[in-house]
Amino acid sequence: MTFLAPLMLLGLAGLAIPVVLHLIGRRRARVVKFAALAFLIGSRRKTSRRLQLRERALLIVRVLACIALPLAIAKPFTSCRARGPTVQRGPQAAVFVIDDSFTSGYRLGGRSILAREVEAATRILGQLGPEAEVAVVRASEGAPSVTELSREQLRLRDALLDLEPSARPADLRRALARAAQLLDGSSHKQKTVYLVSPLTVNALPAGDAPWAADGPALEVVDVRGGAALPNLAVTSLTVTPDPTAGPRGIAIVAEIVNHGPTPVADVPVSVEVAGAVVARGQLDLAPGETRGKRFLATMPAEQRSAPVAVSIRADALPTDDRRHAIARLRDDVRVLLVDGDARADRHEDEVFYLEAALRPGDRGEAGTVVTKILPDDLDDVDLGAFDVVVLANVAALPSPRVEALAAWLRSGGGLLVAPGDHVDPAAYEATMLPLLPQSLRDPIDTAWGAAPDERAARALHLTKWEADHPIFAPFAEDAPGLADAAFTKVMLLGPTTATTDRRVLARFTNGAAAMVLATVGDGQVLLYTSTIDRDWNDLPVLPGYLPLMQESVRFLARRRGDTLTKSILVGQGQGLPTLELKKLEVRGPDGLTTVFEGARLDGRPTVRFGAAERPGVYRVIGTDGTGATRDRDELAFAANLDPRGSDLSPAPPSVLPVSGAPGTTGGKAPLRRVELWHAVAAALLALLVLESILIQQKR
Amino acid sequence: MKLDPSLLAKLGSLPVKARVIVESALSGMHRARLRGSSVEFAEHKEYSPGDELRHIDWKALAKLDRYYVKQFEQESQLTVYLVLDASGSMRFAGAGLPKVEYGALALAALAYLVSQQQDKVGLYVFGPRPAPLHVPPRAKGTHLADLLAVLDAAIADPTTGDDSPADALDRIGELARRRRALVVLASDLFDPDDRTVTALRRLRAQRHDVVALHVVAPEERTLPYEGLTMFEGLEGDHKLLANPTAIRADYVARMDAFLARTADELAAGGVDYHLTPTDRPLDQTLLAVLTARGGPRERR
Repeated sequence: MTFLAPLMLLGLAGLAIPVVLHLIGRRRARVVKFAALAFLIGSRRKTSRRLQLRERALLIVRVLACIALPLAIAKPFTSCRARGPTVQRGPQAAVFVIDDSFTSGYRLGGRSILAREVEAATRILGQLGPEAEVAVVRASEGAPSVTELSREQLRLRDALLDLEPSARPADLRRALARAAQLLDGSSHKQKTVYLVSPLTVNALPAGDAPWAADGPALEVVDVRGGAALPNLAVTSLTVTPDPTAGPRGIAIVAEIVNHGPTPVADVPVSVEVAGAVVARGQLDLAPGETRGKRFLATMPAEQRSAPVAVSIRADALPTDDRRHAIARLRDDVRVLLVDGDARADRHEDEVFYLEAALRPGDRGEAGTVVTKILPDDLDDVDLGAFDVVVLANVAALPSPRVEALAAWLRSGGGLLVAPGDHVDPAAYEATMLPLLPQSLRDPIDTAWGAAPDERAARALHLTKWEADHPIFAPFAEDAPGLADAAFTKVMLLGPTTATTDRRVLARFTNGAAAMVLATVGDGQVLLYTSTIDRDWNDLPVLPGYLPLMQESVRFLARRRGDTLTKSILVGQGQGLPTLELKKLEVRGPDGLTTVFEGARLDGRPTVRFGAAERPGVYRVIGTDGTGATRDRDELAFAANLDPRGSDLSPAPPSVLPVSGAPGTTGGKAPLRRVELWHAVAAALLALLVLESILIQQKR
Repeated sequence: MKLDPSLLAKLGSLPVKARVIVESALSGMHRARLRGSSVEFAEHKEYSPGDELRHIDWKALAKLDRYYVKQFEQESQLTVYLVLDASGSMRFAGAGLPKVEYGALALAALAYLVSQQQDKVGLYVFGPRPAPLHVPPRAKGTHLADLLAVLDAAIADPTTGDDSPADALDRIGELARRRRALVVLASDLFDPDDRTVTALRRLRAQRHDVVALHVVAPEERTLPYEGLTMFEGLEGDHKLLANPTAIRADYVARMDAFLARTADELAAGGVDYHLTPTDRPLDQTLLAVLTARGGPRERR
């Protein structure tokens, strides 16, 4: 501490004044000769201690006041390094770029980062003075643009104080560019951009500088103050069907990231389905590590759609510790079985085993609706009413039927082709190639000419199947239910056709392809090179048959873009089919409702919900022509935070624009004089008030 | 007419003051006599309204079926001992007369009255002096002047100090020997040993008539002072710096308890107790004493 007028400290000699006054005060007490002193002494014993304390307190207060007075007059001051930017008062143009992304909700030292930003910005705003033209630019993605600078500092201050963390990530580069644009239109010579932000790497990725070297001066207020901002976040959530958990089983896979410099152990993870916690887990994460956690659950009974959420223990940034999704059971797969070898004896029928596999026990929960026809009936059915068509031992179809099937296939249908004795490779070559991934060749019969005891040894077996493919998801690696099946006759394949993305999903032990998958337009075709019944193999009577057929049909029924998880990022819009409804309401997690009706709805096949501003589940409520209103679970969707924003690592200084006057980003901060006499004077005032109170009590 | 003590103090010598007090107190009264309880039966008189009921002879009523009143005759000569407390605490004045002066005036008036009755009156003044002042009881005409002169000297003596009334009262008991006397004590009864009440009750037990004038200044009852005050004791060197406001309630409670306790104990011991504030007119004080002793009576 230094003094501007140290001579004034001589006044400290006045310290003797209160002591003298105290002693004089004792002498100045009125003297009364009193007879009944014994009664007085008895009474005073109670209060004497209090009086003594009060007198001592009064003496101390007076001594302190006598110290404070010369101290204040001597004008003490101290110096410190300025933590904030250098601010000059006067006419100028300035723009505050405030990071109001969801990361600004991070609580650091008991306060949110946004609160720190607002405090720093309002302090600088006050220092700029009334002649400064100022604007506040919010850095969160999608924040409304500011159009002009303003001298209405009270309004700007209110705008700063009203700021709340957005649910979107920051885009500092866009905000800085906007700030430069605003300043470009100002006639002031002094132009400054005050960047008030924790300067996270996600907010300011490397890229082109927002302005050139002759741009405005940049003053950076790094509100993190050099502190690390460790953060755990749930960055991904997918929900897929899982038959191993039953017909209503779902697999929930969440990704959790440790954006911190230290490892974390036993991070609790919990899964909620329809608002109830159904699973919990823990995981350890190394610094910077991303780990997935898989949970199995079952959809609630009678519900085909339910909100799913995965949460971790709330940390300093709780917003990204929870992620949402809508799990939805697919509608029943509509399967058309074209029976190429129909028999009166059901066991001899070509599709007997397949039909039994797709609807075990003929129960409604099987998830498939099966329709069986003969090849000649193909002309009479509406293929658009089916998701999957199975050609089982169907003789080559005439070209018109093939064309109709191919068109349906290209529009997104799924086709399973299985050969048999009625399949003539040459005839298929002539008309059926638009439906096949490869042309067919004559089959091989491994049992031909073999003695009965050699037939089993000569049989082929499935091997080298793609275990990662969804069709084989239910099977273990060795899968005896599949591997034990004996194939005595298989169709060999010829050259590939015009299909794309052809993949051999499984082969036989002799190397021949057993299952070939290819894409035709938006649809997919799966060629199975043996019979779908027991004629050429015994797979239909083994445990692997049912899941293999069910998964194959479900896979083929999966249209492009049709997933179980309906989720968008905050800030994105969502298209919604109108379903001939008269009114459509989208109710967000914060209770805000967007209503589509009248001209916004009538005659439109879809409407677009503008932008989800908060993370969570968005319910859709529809009113049909009869006036009935109910939740349209099939249209509900979830919005989640952009996972990029969860990384709060500091951005390197090199990504900041370098221009104009140097800010506080580099070099040593300047020394600033801090006047202390105000505080001393305030203390003196307080002491005088205290003395008055003590004197009043003494009387 | 009321005799304000402060105005009275401005009158001339003590004999004059004493006469003024007595005459003021007895104006309108047809009989003024200080009596003791040592009286003898004289004759019967038929009861007439106004006679004291306590003197009705119930035995005569039973025999004669008529009401007769016993008439008594006082002993030929009453002996009165006036005892004045001139200790330091009696020097306290407050806004009015010093307590010692008030007590001396009251005793002077009584001396005057007794002297007028041709009875014997003596004086005993105790206080800080090496030896108490003692005027033996006599009934001579010049005796009153000597007694009042001693009282005057006691008032004028500025000496302060501590002395207990108990010793003085015991001394009176010895002086009176077996002869019954009327003992009148003027004191503030501030006795650190708390022996005064016992001494008074002992005197009463010796069949003396005892009157206690408890002289108290109003300031001693209300502690009316404000602001930081240094209280200095009148007996000894005790000093006390205190805020009267803070201790007033407790002090007044203590003082009231002391006065009530003293009055109760003396009344229980047969002592004629009179709380005598120094702002009360002296003629009223004298009248109170005389009334309690059975006279004077109002003129019909």
